[in-house]
Amino acid sequence: MLERRASRRTVDGFTDSSRRLPSTVAHISGLALLTITPGLVVSAVVEFVGGGDAGWMILGCAAIFGVLGAVLWKGTQLGDLAIRTIFASVAWSWLLVSLLGSLPFILARTFEREGIGRWIEIADAIFESVSGYTCTGSTVLTTLPDLGDSDPEIGRGILFYRQLIQWYGGMGFVQLVITVLPALGSRALGFMGAEAPGPTADRLAPRAADTAKILWKLYVGGTFVMAIAFTLAGMAPWDAVNHSLTTAATGGFSTYNDSLGEFDSVSIEVVAQIAMLFGGSNWALHWLFITKSRSVYARDHEFRAYIAIFVLATVAITARLTVGDEVGGFWTALRVSSFNVASLLSSTGFGNAQGAGSAGDFVAWSASPLTVLLLLMVVGGMSGSTAGGTKVIRTRVLAAVSHRTVAVARQPRAVVPVKLGQDVVPEGIVQRVSLFMMAYAALVVGGFLLVTLLGGGLEESLAGVIGSLGNMGPALGAAGPTATFLDAFPAPARLVLAFLMLVGRLELFAVLLMFAAPRRSLRKIRPHRHSF
Amino acid sequence: MPTLSKPPTQKRHGTLALLPRPVGIGLAAGGACALAAGIVGLTLDPDRLSFDRVSELILGLGAIAIGYTLARSTPVASISRAKAMAMFVSGWTAMTFVAVTVFIIAGEVETPLDALFEAVSASTTTGFTTVADPSELSHSFRFLRVILPWTTGLGVLMVAMGVLPAAIGGAELLPKRQLGRERQLVTTVPRAIRNILGLYLLLTISLVVGFGIAGMGAFDALTYALSTASTGGMANHANSLGHFDSAAIEWVAAFGMAAAGGNLLVVWWGLRGRFEAVWHSTELRLYVLLLIGGFLVVFLGGDLNASDAAVAIASMLSTTGLYSANWGAGPSFVQAALLVATGIGAMSGSVGSGFRQARAARIALEVRRALRKLLDPHRVGVVRVDGEAVKEESLALTIGYLWMHSFTLAGLALVIYTPELDLVASLSLVVSVVSNTGVLLSEGEITNTVSLSGWSEVVGSVGMLLGRLSIYPVLITVAGFGRWVSRLRPHRSIGAEYDA
Repeated sequence: MLERRASRRTVDGFTDSSRRLPSTVAHISGLALLTITPGLVVSAVVEFVGGGDAGWMILGCAAIFGVLGAVLWKGTQLGDLAIRTIFASVAWSWLLVSLLGSLPFILARTFEREGIGRWIEIADAIFESVSGYTCTGSTVLTTLPDLGDSDPEIGRGILFYRQLIQWYGGMGFVQLVITVLPALGSRALGFMGAEAPGPTADRLAPRAADTAKILWKLYVGGTFVMAIAFTLAGMAPWDAVNHSLTTAATGGFSTYNDSLGEFDSVSIEVVAQIAMLFGGSNWALHWLFITKSRSVYARDHEFRAYIAIFVLATVAITARLTVGDEVGGFWTALRVSSFNVASLLSSTGFGNAQGAGSAGDFVAWSASPLTVLLLLMVVGGMSGSTAGGTKVIRTRVLAAVSHRTVAVARQPRAVVPVKLGQDVVPEGIVQRVSLFMMAYAALVVGGFLLVTLLGGGLEESLAGVIGSLGNMGPALGAAGPTATFLDAFPAPARLVLAFLMLVGRLELFAVLLMFAAPRRSLRKIRPHRHSF
Repeated sequence: MPTLSKPPTQKRHGTLALLPRPVGIGLAAGGACALAAGIVGLTLDPDRLSFDRVSELILGLGAIAIGYTLARSTPVASISRAKAMAMFVSGWTAMTFVAVTVFIIAGEVETPLDALFEAVSASTTTGFTTVADPSELSHSFRFLRVILPWTTGLGVLMVAMGVLPAAIGGAELLPKRQLGRERQLVTTVPRAIRNILGLYLLLTISLVVGFGIAGMGAFDALTYALSTASTGGMANHANSLGHFDSAAIEWVAAFGMAAAGGNLLVVWWGLRGRFEAVWHSTELRLYVLLLIGGFLVVFLGGDLNASDAAVAIASMLSTTGLYSANWGAGPSFVQAALLVATGIGAMSGSVGSGFRQARAARIALEVRRALRKLLDPHRVGVVRVDGEAVKEESLALTIGYLWMHSFTLAGLALVIYTPELDLVASLSLVVSVVSNTGVLLSEGEITNTVSLSGWSEVVGSVGMLLGRLSIYPVLITVAGFGRWVSRLRPHRSIGAEYDA
């Protein structure tokens, strides 16, 4: 089909039949906007039903999304499908959706506060939207309701929309686009790779579009199961639906100020822990478990490492909190440590603190457990999951590279392959992982310096940058689980963090290529001067 | 008619047979330090003459005698890189052993673990101390705290540049011309040692004179010069150079620390008029850029005066650890910049420590190359350092070292237990330990004095050792020791069960 289209192309880059502009970036972005539109309509309905006054505004946003999406989609066609264009398309569609996603917040004046200008309000809306779509979960919203609040300041539609955008971002709306765009053919896997977390994209079916469909079905099913589990654990249906959306996405937005700590329920926390760990592990493994083999988890070395990290970190933090008598006894220490380890390892970012200074408020812990949490923020979940961070598999590859370096230093002529268990890792993947991690380290250092320059504190900036790049949610210090990013960072620093969230969600390279590819496309489109 | 004969073969020696030589040299070096400290004590503290001073003298003489005997009794042989690293670690351990013994006997620190921490801190050129006010210590003890890092600095330079360029795991960093004959420091090992000693002494004596002219007393000038030239950072006063409150002293210290953190080979080229080679040094360019940029950041971004800002950036970048003003109370950006600077550290081929400028430059150039390749997949790029293409194997070693360094930092941060410190203090402690800087940033204050639990002192000592010896040698020595132990285990022969 692509060949047929290409043959119809004329020298100026337009097709004979439709005269549509060949732009992969615009085409994919348009479709991405269209996939968000139903979510906005549902949010508007929820707002109307909940008695809020922002229903028409949300519906207006849905119209903007729909019209703009349709214009971009119908007005363009797939153009260049080189790998850099694919990465750029994914990045531009994410940027466009994240920025436009702030419209409902802006129109509903969600971030209106005394003493701030309109621009700060817009910046806050953009921060919240980017944090939502990238599944980070950091918030600047101070007006979330408490449990049982009969007259909340924010309408239910806006709250639902805030949860829903994380759900969209979890599996990735470009992946959703792939399911309805068969023309992509074999290139669809490139789109999946550009959006999927981890060094490679898993393939569950011969056609990438089918793989995307399977993953989305699984995602919808997983969310549904989580909602039921939360309900059985004691949540009201409204809370269960909202929290299942952000748990499956490992996003971490809650509809309450104290996050899951609002419920003060061990059963809800246990369900959330299991669900977060589920979301933070490879979804392809879940599919294989359901359809093929029951031993697939036990055989996967990344999954084993993921669970081992969870257990070891929980034991280490529990021991330190118990020995230091920091939270009041072993069982409380176990409860808060296992929950927060699961929350940060899976990059969800839910909290179980009941107010500042309570047992679950980890910023009140001593340095040793905080160091463990900070390192968990770096590692993150598994590849192929909805989680952020640098991923367990990359950490394992780097450990193997370190081991090889010592071996080569000892015997310079030795040829030592990088191995994970018995498997030899191809050099291409080793180089890609190394490059990714070097770029990540450079971004952490650069971001840390920039955010401190813009006024962030040392602890807040370090954890804020690592957390944003890893799409974690809470940071440390004044930006901990019971606080917002509002007091910890000035507005320019928050925008830098929002950019880092996007960079982290798309795993660095897509954002770099988003500026390079359009420049090349423009060069191609520009009419050539004929010499006679 | 010439006869064909087999070339003479060298006898192969096991590591154990070769070990007495580096251990002997280490013992002799530690003994010499103890002896020198004892003599200083006898000269400057005649009223505090006691069993400790006499013990120092006897221990020093004894260690020199034993070390000399051991070193003379061992054959000189051509050795593999792994053995060279093991020998280097053994020699350093022997010297530190003498230092710990002297520190315990001297009784000026509270516990044996404090003595271990203090001795390792001194002999790794770190500069952390467990003593709240060093000015109350005896002259002998204060001298010992600065002569140890000075001796280590000399040893590191000689091993790294003169004797065994591969031994401290930095071989991949050295420019080709350093290993070639054309522009290297020397062509023979004795001349190398002579030239390195000459340069090191030149810097030390210049600093003694400089500090003296700037207004320090003779003992302070000598000790601070030793501390500065070796990037040790041990101070005679609780608030380090801030005690003197003198801009002249601060400028002398700043230039001294910056020079000590520079590659000795580049200094050598400069002294020999080879300015073209100096100009082409990528590492030097980065070092100068960070020094000037860091100075501007600290000076313009904080509330320090120019000399204090110069001391701060030179101290942190060269991993010395001396300070003249409390930059910990300044803006967080200044603190962050100084912590990043000390993480990067000094130039290779210097007495300074840290990740090293050469590695940072290579990593930055490699990232740039990879990103360019990402934008243009058909591009074939090479990483050029000092105007020459770097071999891919060498680059791979540097990248591997980056991950080892990162894992070391992460591992120490996890293992060290500091309930008394907040997160920033704990992380600054770990960075400072691995970079051998010796500055703790805690609650808006910077200090060289730490009060750690016994466990943290042991972990900190291991961290300082890993940082000082660039990680490789320690890991390879430990791995080699593990293999040696496993060989001791009796092997079951195939078919043993049938014999039974």
